[in-house]
Amino acid sequence: MATVKAGNIKRGSHVRFRGKPMLVTKTEFSYPGKGSAFMKVILKDITSGATVSFTYKSNESVEELDVSSIEMQFLYFDGNEVVFMNPRSYEQVQVSLNLLDGGERYLTSDIKVYVQFFEDLPVGVSLPPKAKLKVVKAPDATAGNRAKAAKKDVTLETGLVVQAPLFIKEGDVLFVDTASGEYVSRSN
Amino acid sequence: MKNWQKLKQKPDLWRQFFIREQVLDGIRSFFKHQNFHEVETPLLVASPGTEPYLDLFTTDITFQTPSGDKKKQLYLLTSPELAMKKLVAAGLPKIFQLCKSFRNNEGLSSLHNPEFTILEWYRANADYTDIMNDCENLIKSLVKNICQSDALPYQGKTYQLAGSWPRITIKKAFFKYAQIDSETLLNRDLLMKTALKKGYRHAKNASWEELYHQIFLNEIEPALATFYQPVFLCDYPLALAALSRKKANDERFAERFELYIGGIELANAFSELVDPTEQRQRATADIQQRQELSKDIFPIDEDYIQALESGLPPTGGIALGVDRLIMLLADVKSIQETLFFPIEEAIELE
Repeated sequence: MATVKAGNIKRGSHVRFRGKPMLVTKTEFSYPGKGSAFMKVILKDITSGATVSFTYKSNESVEELDVSSIEMQFLYFDGNEVVFMNPRSYEQVQVSLNLLDGGERYLTSDIKVYVQFFEDLPVGVSLPPKAKLKVVKAPDATAGNRAKAAKKDVTLETGLVVQAPLFIKEGDVLFVDTASGEYVSRSN
Repeated sequence: MKNWQKLKQKPDLWRQFFIREQVLDGIRSFFKHQNFHEVETPLLVASPGTEPYLDLFTTDITFQTPSGDKKKQLYLLTSPELAMKKLVAAGLPKIFQLCKSFRNNEGLSSLHNPEFTILEWYRANADYTDIMNDCENLIKSLVKNICQSDALPYQGKTYQLAGSWPRITIKKAFFKYAQIDSETLLNRDLLMKTALKKGYRHAKNASWEELYHQIFLNEIEPALATFYQPVFLCDYPLALAALSRKKANDERFAERFELYIGGIELANAFSELVDPTEQRQRATADIQQRQELSKDIFPIDEDYIQALESGLPPTGGIALGVDRLIMLLADVKSIQETLFFPIEEAIELE
């Protein structure tokens, strides 16, 4: 059984909490009243999607799930689920939207994602740090005061809206940071 | 993106950052109107506070002497309280200070920056209940001037500030929200058994302080977050109150309070301990605990003990996290959104 010190738990990792497999969606250190160190985590139940928050002592050992990752291709959305396919075996898997935690805003057929499995159960999706997305709507830039806001809102193919420089136009392909949801650069 | 870049991109953001200036001005005018003196004490000190769990920023002072260069270890202070209480002992009955304080190794969180702005004020011939009144008046006046309102809107909730705010003892809070009576709460073995029953799997090897805080963070703090008013949590177990006076009617607890708004700890206050003998005992115990925890060890501030020996009147004092207060007034989720240059921008992140 792999364990991790609670103070080292990372967002996006998986732990067992009160017997259940959980996805870690947020972590934060806490020092109550100048006391010793604690780690507050927000966990999502893989099966029910319910969220719980728990505070560990930061030196406490927590069971980390032995998760395997398989490279998969995004196919389509199906209600509250996302369908991915293994490009080698053509096997398809459905992952609850709940477990993507906002990651669905970067899904295109080109993006390389890893679906994580725990005992054959899909438990999460890991995205590359940058996603390549096409601009579908970019308003004409108003010259304005260049010393100030030299950015505008543009809409990408997945519906995600990012702030991009004024020179970005429809049809451009952008790199977007999948952790912050911010514009990184133009790719073409 | 760094904050200065965000500001350049979205000039509307300046308003959010200017709340800091308004809060600092508001604090100064609040205290000046009550004839408090504003004082400045050193940030570089030889004997910082003895709190067992705090990690320090350490540095050296070097100076030349006829017999060669000398070096002495100094620390960035974790709070200006010892110096300020010396000034109260020296005869200033009402003082406040706005300064930076430093705490190392606190990890990155939306409520921590290793260098932070602290407000402390001290009132002679007063106790912690007078400080509670000050807190109510100060925050009401800031909210009135900055938000033009008698209530504080924060992250979709509205906190009512009118009237006096609930004062809940630790004893009552543990009983009500965690079903733990004070006899169990104050006894490490009884508390450990209760924690195990509650499902805290690592309770067996935990110290009393760890058990107390883990239950506090999991069961009490979330309950405080449900209040629609600020809350004073008061009367802490003696072991958690190194610098505060014991309660006259129950010596197992001390006159310490913390102020919470929306589950966020904003301030920590005491009826100050003025007995030099007891102060020395508690400081020695703290330093011994620091040794056991492998923290930096430094001498007790003898000057402070001397100041107590010379006579410190009954005094109420408090430390308030100004960055957190600004965060509440600016209605933003993290203190990083109130600092022009949060530490995250200066260090390499993974």
